Amino acid sequence: MTHRPVLLAPTAAVGADLDAWLQNGGAEGLRHALAAPERIIPALAHAGLRGMGGAGFPTHRKWSSVAGQSAGDKYVLCNGNEDEPGTFKDRHLLSASPHQVIEGALIAAVAVDANHVLLYVNPHQHEALKSTRSAIEQWRASGLLAPIERRLGLRLALDVVESSGRYIGGEETAVIATIEGGFPFPRRKPPYPAESGVHGRPTLINNVETLANVTHILRHGADWYRALGIGGACGTKLYSLSGDVLEPGLFELPMGTSLRELVFTHGGGMLGPLAFKAVFTGGPSNTLLTADDLDVALDFDAVAQRGSRLGTGAMIVISAGTSIVRKVAEYVDFFAAGSCGQCTPCKTGTYQLSRLLRRIDTGVGVQADLRALESLCALLPGSGRCGLVDGAVTVVRSSMQQFREEYEHQLIG
Amino acid sequence: MTGIDHRLALERLLASDHAAPNPIDDIEALLKAHHPDYREGSLVSLAVGANRGSECPTALAASLQSNARIEDADLAGAPVVDTEVLIIGGGGAGCAAALTAAEAGGRVILATKLRIGDSNTVMAEGGIQAAVGEDDSIQRHFEDTLRAGHGCADRRLVACLASSAPDSIRWLIDRGMRFDLAEGGAIGGKLLRKKPGGATRARILSFKDYTGLEMMRVLREAVELDERIRLWNRCPLVELLSDEAGHCVGAVLYDLALHRFVLVRASCVILATGGVGRLHLNDFPTSNHYGATADGLVLAYRIGAALRELDSFQYHPTGIAWPSFRLGGLISEAARSAGAHLLNGLGERFVDELAARDVVSAAILRECAEGRGIEREGMVGVFLDIPELERRQPGTLAQRLISLGHLARQCGIDPSREPMMVRPTLHYQNGGVVIDENGTTSVPGLYCTGELSGGIHGRNRMMGNALQEIITFGRRAGLHAARSASRHPAPKVGLFHLQGWRRQLVAAGMPLDRFGPDLFPRYANFDFGDELALRGGKRTTYAPKRARRVE
Amino acid sequence: MQTSQVRITVNGCVIDTEPTRSILEAMIDAGETLIDGVGCMGQGVCGSCRVLVRRQGESEVLSALACETRACEGLQVAFLDHLPMHRHHVYAMDDWNGDSWRILERINATFPEAQHCRHCGGCDSACPKHLQVHKGVMLAAAGDLSAAECFDECIMCDLCTIACPELISPNHLGLYVRRLSTAIGFRPADLVLRLHQIERGEMVIDQDVASTQP
Ligand SMILES: Cc1cc2nc3c(=O)[nH]c(=O)nc-3n(C[C@H](O)[C@H](O)[C@H](O)COP(=O)(O)OP(=O)(O)OC[C@H]3O[C@@H](n4cnc5c(N)ncnc54)[C@H](O)[C@@H]3O)c2cc1C
Ligand SMILES: Cc1cc2nc3c(=O)[nH]c(=O)nc-3n(C[C@H](O)[C@H](O)[C@H](O)COP(=O)(O)O)c2cc1C
Ligand code: SF4
Ligand code: SF4
Ligand code: SF4
Ligand code: FES
Repeated sequence: MTHRPVLLAPTAAVGADLDAWLQNGGAEGLRHALAAPERIIPALAHAGLRGMGGAGFPTHRKWSSVAGQSAGDKYVLCNGNEDEPGTFKDRHLLSASPHQVIEGALIAAVAVDANHVLLYVNPHQHEALKSTRSAIEQWRASGLLAPIERRLGLRLALDVVESSGRYIGGEETAVIATIEGGFPFPRRKPPYPAESGVHGRPTLINNVETLANVTHILRHGADWYRALGIGGACGTKLYSLSGDVLEPGLFELPMGTSLRELVFTHGGGMLGPLAFKAVFTGGPSNTLLTADDLDVALDFDAVAQRGSRLGTGAMIVISAGTSIVRKVAEYVDFFAAGSCGQCTPCKTGTYQLSRLLRRIDTGVGVQADLRALESLCALLPGSGRCGLVDGAVTVVRSSMQQFREEYEHQLIG
Repeated sequence: MTGIDHRLALERLLASDHAAPNPIDDIEALLKAHHPDYREGSLVSLAVGANRGSECPTALAASLQSNARIEDADLAGAPVVDTEVLIIGGGGAGCAAALTAAEAGGRVILATKLRIGDSNTVMAEGGIQAAVGEDDSIQRHFEDTLRAGHGCADRRLVACLASSAPDSIRWLIDRGMRFDLAEGGAIGGKLLRKKPGGATRARILSFKDYTGLEMMRVLREAVELDERIRLWNRCPLVELLSDEAGHCVGAVLYDLALHRFVLVRASCVILATGGVGRLHLNDFPTSNHYGATADGLVLAYRIGAALRELDSFQYHPTGIAWPSFRLGGLISEAARSAGAHLLNGLGERFVDELAARDVVSAAILRECAEGRGIEREGMVGVFLDIPELERRQPGTLAQRLISLGHLARQCGIDPSREPMMVRPTLHYQNGGVVIDENGTTSVPGLYCTGELSGGIHGRNRMMGNALQEIITFGRRAGLHAARSASRHPAPKVGLFHLQGWRRQLVAAGMPLDRFGPDLFPRYANFDFGDELALRGGKRTTYAPKRARRVE
Repeated sequence: MQTSQVRITVNGCVIDTEPTRSILEAMIDAGETLIDGVGCMGQGVCGSCRVLVRRQGESEVLSALACETRACEGLQVAFLDHLPMHRHHVYAMDDWNGDSWRILERINATFPEAQHCRHCGGCDSACPKHLQVHKGVMLAAAGDLSAAECFDECIMCDLCTIACPELISPNHLGLYVRRLSTAIGFRPADLVLRLHQIERGEMVIDQDVASTQP
């Protein structure tokens, strides 16, 4: 099947060059937005746009919530922290085509009447940071912000903020904490950022990819966007494909493309002689898709029906040569290392998950260890301030559901 | 055992006039009827081993005369590790031995059943004796100890203990252990000294009311950071290894984490496995830690070592009787010395609280046995009435009974308002393996140190001498072993002593299906057979399924 | 005697017990094997029985000592392994013996992570003895040796070490300060004198005295 990329279209890949962006239809979406601000949010709703930062939350709902808050300082934050294993889409967008992202964020400012637009970028991604900085400076100098400021009746602060570069810094309340100048400690919700975010003000947080899509929806219309998807799904999705495939990389495909097509057509199939075993889907909650799921449509709902999560669209393929238990242990260790430390169950729970997994992996686990692992997965969820501890549990749980025999096989006794 | 309902008993307590108890006419009869050490049939004569003919409590005798848990066949495929000095037991004695042996250049393995530090040592609250006071002398320490032990102790050992005690304190300070000061600063001040029962001078040095904790955390850290010591947690000793001459040449350990046996060939084996409380002799609750199951004592005896004062144990009259999770925990004598009364469920005092320990214990047991005890949540005991003491002598709690306050709060009790419930508890093993000043035993290659060794306390231990013993003799054993160890393992290493042992058991008509050492209390529900079956091992030996509930 | 039964889960085993029993007792009562995660069995000093607990209907999960925690309806319990022994803070007892003006430097060199405390409070909330762990770390990192006192009652359960995202090992830092300050700076006069007397042979024991008979 042929399809035309949107976010990865050559016309978008102009780097930080604003003039080139404007020559290729840039700022058109923003003009539409300014012409009819009240139509922005309904357009997103009709387009079926959902959050690409992991949770798949309907974007228009967040926006209306922020728009509905009383006037005054409001923030739009573009979350470009991207630090989990296997996801490499946001850094690409920010380095190769930052303008579509910035324009999306400005449209958000128009929609919710925000006077602060901050691009939150991971400093470990030098290219992305450099490119975003330069792009922002050009927007500031361009005069394109003036109509927004007129509408707001306030000065618009458009800026780049470096994240701490830590994984946890991507969690939305941690983003807020960072912007306020503190350590990226997530905060208890509620209150949600939409009500009380940066300095207690209403705050909209979206992922880089989400905002990039907004630009194109406003430029081409919601109907156009809907039609890009396959089946009931809308738009396109960036898939970060990695692992035991021949040609890993970043692919923009219609939302709802099958896993089989992604791996075997676009990814060139499996690397080496060993068969496909599973895919770890990326995002704050990693889950597994197996060979039985190869024909599943990669959209939020279809994947969720399989008890898995599309997450950020990261797909880490593993072959029959990979040990599930060890791989899961690596994930858990990643979460354990990423925990910010505020919640006892998070740091301590991931420690114990890791201990049990390592024991089973090294061939000295017994039945009781497996039982302990299961019960820990029942005890931990929902006990942290943020979703990190749940993420660790999800990957363990999902792997135990899908590959129970493999766990049992490694026990002694 | 049942008693008077706790609420009813509290009402009676409030109404009580605390009249002086009736004197006990026939102490002998009281002890015979109610004290386990005097009760008919509570002691039996050993039928096998070096102490054949000596008396010892029935439950201990069963362990001492048990059959080995393993056969040669169980060891097939087990890894073999060589070392010069193998130390068994991660309490204070084992750690002191390990550190000293390593400092003396020995190659050392320290193996312990639970984790290093999970021991009686960490639980000690009161303190450690050393004659440092101006009014005190090592001679006094020597004499007080001998006298308290009813003159039964080994004088050489006691002299060694008393004269080394100040240096042991220095050794501990050098490793970072703190002690409380009575006056002055850290440099040039004077140590806080408390007077142990039966002593002529104040001689107990302490750190708050967790001296053992402070000692243990320092020693554990020192061991863990010492690269020369290989530390194996969760590796209980299951049997000693012997050569054809019956010398001790190593040990069989079971690695509970990896679920397999490990054979260690060692030129010197130092046992420091501590006490016996968790055998619950005569069904007593105990103050001891979970691993105090006489393993070292049993295995030393099996390989031929002689024991002494095997029938002498310290029961403490006031162990906690409620709540159950602190059952057996110690309430120090300080409460009674300060004047606290003991009352039964009728609100009556029934014994002179300052009478000999044996008598107080027996009297409490009599009240409980005869239905005058107090029952709370299934636990039975008598009241130790601190609130009344506090009313009589305001401020006693805050000034004299600080650790009791902690303990009460741990039990969820406000000690100034509610009485504690107490009953006797099994506390300490006075005797043990016969040793000399260097911890060597009658079996070449085998050393013993700490609570499992005997001779220092005679028939009664003074408070604070156990902690002193483990440092003084732990160090001496470690040093001697490191100096006498050979670099080369014995050529023939096996279970040679077991044949002879089993022949003795058969000849004496003892059962061959009572296996030992226990390793864990009976209510741990540990089945060694199940454990071996994990790796597909044949069940050559197994322990029968055990009782479920701690009574 | 009639007590109400409660149902708890320990490491996935469902156990019916009474609300008067500690978690460890409940396991024993139920016939579960208990050979790990237990030491002093109630005194709360050995630090081996560390668990995570979650009460019914609550989202909070706390760390606790199983020997001190009583059963209650719906309690979920997960035992925690003790830390493996890879210790990254290694020192010798003479660490401070060089130039004692440079103690702060030594603390920083031996426990460098302490400088990076992020003040998350994880150590404080993990500590089953409710010690001021974070304060102790702050003091130690500033060279204030009164840090030692924050750890007076520390049972070395390592829960704070597991909890600390900066890998500071607060309890080991505390113990390091305690140990080294004692080793170089604790010299009670009475002990010094007695050692002196014994070393010079001024105090010896006569083993043959009669007064030792009872
Ligand atoms: C509650 C309490 C309070 C006390 N208070 C005081 C006091 O104030 N002053 C005082 O002087 N004394 C006191 N004592 C006594 C004193 O603490 C002990 O006698 C002393 O600490 C014993 O030290 P140890 O090293 O010989 O044995 P422990 O400290 O008990 O150590 C023995 C070690 O060996 C291990 N072990 C056991 N079996 C095996 C096996 N098969 N294989 C491997 N390892 C094994 C155990 O798990 C343990 O780690 C008290 C005791 C208790 C229980
Ligand atoms: C531990 C954790 C890490 C996260 N990291 C990121 C991240 O790096 N980038 C991101 O966009 N969202 C991340 N999220 C999700 C954000 O909290 C938030 O949901 C998202 O930025 C909202 O954008 P969206 O609605 O456009 O997806 C993370 C969430 C959690 C729980
Ligand atoms: S769940 Fe983990 S990462 Fe999230 S706030 Fe709590 S400790 Fe921090
Ligand atoms: S300070 Fe740390 S090691 Fe000490 S008791 Fe508290 S949590 Fe445990
Ligand atoms: S857990 Fe570590 S980083 Fe957090 S406050 Fe405590 S010492 Fe600091
Ligand atoms: S068993 Fe020792 S602290 Fe709980």
